[in-house]
Amino acid sequence: MDQISAANHGGAAVEPVRIVHFTEGLLLPCDSVTPATPNKDVFALFEAQPEMMGLPVVEDGHPIGLINRNIFMQSMARPFHREVFLNKSCIAFMDKEPLIVDKKTSIQDLSFRVLEGGQKAMNDGFIISDDDRYLGVGTAQDMLRAVANLQAEKNRLVMESIDYASVIQQSLSRPSRDGMRKTLADHFLIWEPRDVVSGDFYHFHDYEDGFLVVLFDCTGHGVPGAFMTLIMSAFLQSALNTVRHDDPGAILGAVNRLVKTAMGHIDHQHADSGDEESADDGMDAAFCWIDRRSRTLTYAGAHLPLLLLGPDDQEVRSLDGDRQGVGYAATPMDQVWRNHVVELPEGTCAYLFTDGFVDQLGGPKRIAFGKRRTREVILKHRGQTMPEQRAALLAALEDYQGREPRKDDVSAIGFRF
Amino acid sequence: MENLYIPATNETPEINFNFSEHKLHMSGESYPENAMAFYAPVRASLHNYLSNTQPHGEVEAHFSLKYFNSSSTKLIRSLIALMHDSAQAGKRIVTHWYHDPDDDMMSEFGNDLKDEFRMLDIRVVATEPA
Repeated sequence: MDQISAANHGGAAVEPVRIVHFTEGLLLPCDSVTPATPNKDVFALFEAQPEMMGLPVVEDGHPIGLINRNIFMQSMARPFHREVFLNKSCIAFMDKEPLIVDKKTSIQDLSFRVLEGGQKAMNDGFIISDDDRYLGVGTAQDMLRAVANLQAEKNRLVMESIDYASVIQQSLSRPSRDGMRKTLADHFLIWEPRDVVSGDFYHFHDYEDGFLVVLFDCTGHGVPGAFMTLIMSAFLQSALNTVRHDDPGAILGAVNRLVKTAMGHIDHQHADSGDEESADDGMDAAFCWIDRRSRTLTYAGAHLPLLLLGPDDQEVRSLDGDRQGVGYAATPMDQVWRNHVVELPEGTCAYLFTDGFVDQLGGPKRIAFGKRRTREVILKHRGQTMPEQRAALLAALEDYQGREPRKDDVSAIGFRF
Repeated sequence: MENLYIPATNETPEINFNFSEHKLHMSGESYPENAMAFYAPVRASLHNYLSNTQPHGEVEAHFSLKYFNSSSTKLIRSLIALMHDSAQAGKRIVTHWYHDPDDDMMSEFGNDLKDEFRMLDIRVVATEPA
């Protein structure tokens, strides 16, 4: 039995995938009999066609029943049954309530009906009709294959769609990647979406007097998160047209007003009041302006810290920024994010991490990777180039994460200036 | 009013709001795709309890969470905000925020809550897992 099913299985795997959407696609032509057919003819048909498990009974073109091979053969094998029944009508042994399905029934509806039909429908299959007229039969195995193929096809279509969304998302960040490569001799970028597209995003803008480095983490991940990154990127561009590019706090404030206005995140100052069903999405963000002439870094943060390690520092310093997120209903329209200005002695390393990095679960206790471990990795590898530090950070995270699944999008930017 | 018990799933925490004993427990991990759908009824039930029940003693809240995503963060904060408003109005509520001694993220989150919700008695407790 095992061998037979294994052989069938192997056979099915090499068949070209044919997508069937309606029951019609499963139609197998099948002999049928009428109520006038005597059992001896049924017997002969079953003997001549050993693969036929059920024999439909059709009256005036309408299917009225199904004779199951095993039940019929066992009945015939009983003492005297053959003599008594051979010349009588075949309806004596027929199932009067077989599963009859119209050819236009979708494969999904068919699968639910077969399931409702229980073991009988799994064994005997079903009769396929066209406007109540007999057409043929279908088997549960063919139906299962159709369901599996449909499922695989739907997954493929969804994944193709998301893959292409990822192409769009990555082309939006290409100018920033090129800009970083041109401007920053020693830098790294980590951008690892959990599900192909990401709710994390970054921007880099080079100006004559300095450059702007931005990392943000929108609520959600996957497709909704990626939607938010596009919205935020558009608002960032438009904010840069109205406020000074060297004032990160003002840029955050401008983006906040634009998001709140556009998405209707107004009028409720508390996230805990108002319409619970409406979306309330925003972002954590870190904006850094680096002024070339004064060698200063101006940082404004919305719940996304900046880590700094100067050449003479013994410890990694952390600037935490403000707690308030950008664009949420609970964030006031006139929220101010403070600018922090720090000197950048030559060779200072600066790092931005989204919370997907520090919050990743792992380790023997299944707790977050955390900021302390992150700082330790940075300190340990401070003498190495930024690309080497990137590799060390990712290796430490992956090692810590072990077999724990990735929980969130993971992104980081590091540069030495 | 009726107690609220929601068993944990892979993506959502266990909610055990024993309103009759004035003990509210929440534990586990929280990263549902639609956090609002999970937290809206939890929040509604807490709101209902806080506004309609007058316990003789104090209300005890216990949070022992290992992980939550950013959309859950906002909603967990909003549960704390509800208790904060209620404490401000005079209700006695003691909130315990548990974290593993090595978990700097959870400890920081608890201390941030303390800073933010000053009228609520929040105790950040480092505790080894049972």
